[in-house]
Amino acid sequence: MTTLAPVDAAASGPAPVPLSHRPDHRGSWIPTWGMVATRFMELRRRKGLMITLLAVNIGLPVVFLAFRLIAHAVDPKSYGPAGGYSIFTTLVAGVLFIFGFIVAATVGCTAGSVDLTEGMFRHLVITGRSRLALYLARIPAGLAIVLPIVAVGFAIVCTVCILAAPTQLNYDGTKVPAGLSQPALDSWATAHADEVICNFGLDIGPNSDLLQVVNSVNCGNGNGPGIKIGPGATTTAPVSHAQVEAAARQIANLDYYDYHRNFLEPPTHLIIDSGLWVLLEATIGFVVGLGLASLMGQRTVPVILMIVLEVILTPVLSRTVIPHLINAQRGIVGLAMSHLEPAGLPSPFGGNGQSGQIMLVPESRTVAVCVIVGWLVVWTALGAWRMVTRDA
Amino acid sequence: MTTALADRPTAGPTGSEWAVETHGLTKRFGGNVAVDDVELLVPRGCAFGYLGPNGAGKTTLIRVLLGLTRADAGSMSLLGHAVPDHRAEALARVGAIVDEPRFHGHLTGRQNLQILAAAREPAARERISGALDRVGMGQRSDDKVSKYSMGMRQRLGVAACLLGDPQLLILDEPMNGLDPAGMQEMRDMILGLVDEGRTVMLSSHLLDEVERTCNAVAIVDRGRVIRQGSIHDLLSGSSVRVEVECSDPAAASALLSGRLPGADCEVEPDGIALLLPPDTGRDVIAEVNRVLVEGGISVYRLQLVQASLESWFLQVTSRLGESS
Repeated sequence: MTTLAPVDAAASGPAPVPLSHRPDHRGSWIPTWGMVATRFMELRRRKGLMITLLAVNIGLPVVFLAFRLIAHAVDPKSYGPAGGYSIFTTLVAGVLFIFGFIVAATVGCTAGSVDLTEGMFRHLVITGRSRLALYLARIPAGLAIVLPIVAVGFAIVCTVCILAAPTQLNYDGTKVPAGLSQPALDSWATAHADEVICNFGLDIGPNSDLLQVVNSVNCGNGNGPGIKIGPGATTTAPVSHAQVEAAARQIANLDYYDYHRNFLEPPTHLIIDSGLWVLLEATIGFVVGLGLASLMGQRTVPVILMIVLEVILTPVLSRTVIPHLINAQRGIVGLAMSHLEPAGLPSPFGGNGQSGQIMLVPESRTVAVCVIVGWLVVWTALGAWRMVTRDA
Repeated sequence: MTTALADRPTAGPTGSEWAVETHGLTKRFGGNVAVDDVELLVPRGCAFGYLGPNGAGKTTLIRVLLGLTRADAGSMSLLGHAVPDHRAEALARVGAIVDEPRFHGHLTGRQNLQILAAAREPAARERISGALDRVGMGQRSDDKVSKYSMGMRQRLGVAACLLGDPQLLILDEPMNGLDPAGMQEMRDMILGLVDEGRTVMLSSHLLDEVERTCNAVAIVDRGRVIRQGSIHDLLSGSSVRVEVECSDPAAASALLSGRLPGADCEVEPDGIALLLPPDTGRDVIAEVNRVLVEGGISVYRLQLVQASLESWFLQVTSRLGESS
């Protein structure tokens, strides 16, 4: 038998350690401001991550727009304006949406795994702070990094697309005013019927009603109308001026969709909607990446999985209806985000028809919202659960 | 082995009698029992060594105590707070290093401590500079941790422990990676912390360091605590070794056989070594000398070898090996 007697120090009574501690609610699941701030600092000081984030969300649009600005300034006939509606929609749906998601997911995966891989998780658990609070502190900290950068990239795109939008459209020498409504364009076409017929590019078949009219117009310099005429076309007697004006209106009407899409600067409501949409996508990327990395306890594989989800799985499964799996397809967050896309933007995952209609797996907006909320909640819950139950 | 609580220490500031108390604590990893029915009592206000060979379950026990992994059975408390039920209250006054201390390499030592302080009470932030100075890291606190040596990380780990103004520090192999001067500094720091009334529990396999630093120890082997108590008491219960250098070792052994009950005599090339019962008095040693001289054997040297923690540890563990 061994007797455990009090040692000298204990027997003489230890000097009490000053009780300078105030109640700090460290068992609470709500993170403190200090936890969020220091987590923000930890992420912000990762140079490689920050450079990637800035390069993709700000660098890519800036380089693209700068090239367009310079090219247009040097050779305006070959290179169109740097801004405008078309450029805006292309950059928002094609760059900011997809790359914003991927970079946000990378930040999320980093935030969700580095404490484990770098050995800090154990130190943090030993503080006695609620593990749930430790997890939740990462969400505002990460979003405070991701969202401003995405917003800055978006703001740059908006600024250039508005300021560098063309004030008038040049159809092979014919200058059309900006921002006309369809009736106004009809009126303008009536007043400039010969120019419309000669210079508006429109492909009509040999049996078109317009054929007789367009062939009657003299475009000068031996050139025929800008309208392409199919093989086998024949010409007939001269037509009246009223017929020419009617044909010009008809051509303007047929061209209005392209005119409307490509000519105007992006409207305010589209800018606001698009901005919120892109920020929501980045938020989803971050939260899902955070949860997935926390669940797996590493960064590399979750990042790869997130890229595969965004670049391969979502485009394929959003456009192909698989009858027995259609409900599973509707559960894809990228598809849900496509259904919440502001009207006027091309689908980020392709699938636009010739008329601009999106051909995606059908889903109501209500279901889309539920899917998005579900992804945010489920991945947060999974990540937090693993954080709480993991051996440190 | 039974542990009797002969004299329970007085309650500490939080009302508990023991800094660490476990009963029947068990942790398994599959079929391997890493912590096996451990009964451990660490008095307040002392340096307590938790000794054992590699793989004995020292780190696992610490991880269980700190809530880093769950126990499969048993109960435990830190500073009088039952764990895991009152884990937050318990860990609020505990600082610990488990395994090798690792930090975010891209941040400075101070920034790492800021992260840890933010997870503690607001006052912890004000202790950062003091903690860094105390471990001798004040000058290097604004360097990135990736540039730190192992010893500097170890010291930063101790600084992290001090952020919570702890009553109990649990240090897992704190001497690892330290040079002799660093070990001396660490030893002085531990003793200083104990002088302030804090309890330091350290695990180690460096017996000499533990003997110099600790007041009490527990020996763990294959997950079980096999002995615990103050070092003085434990060593006083070990055999007394007397080395005798003489002219005729074989004759000396024959002379002493039967004259010293309970003694073992080993014949060595230039003498004999006697292992006497723990309570052997000094007069027995004089008797050995008298018997040998009267038997016509020249005695060149007769030395009582003080029992060390190392020799005692080896004695205990070798006995265990024999019994198993």
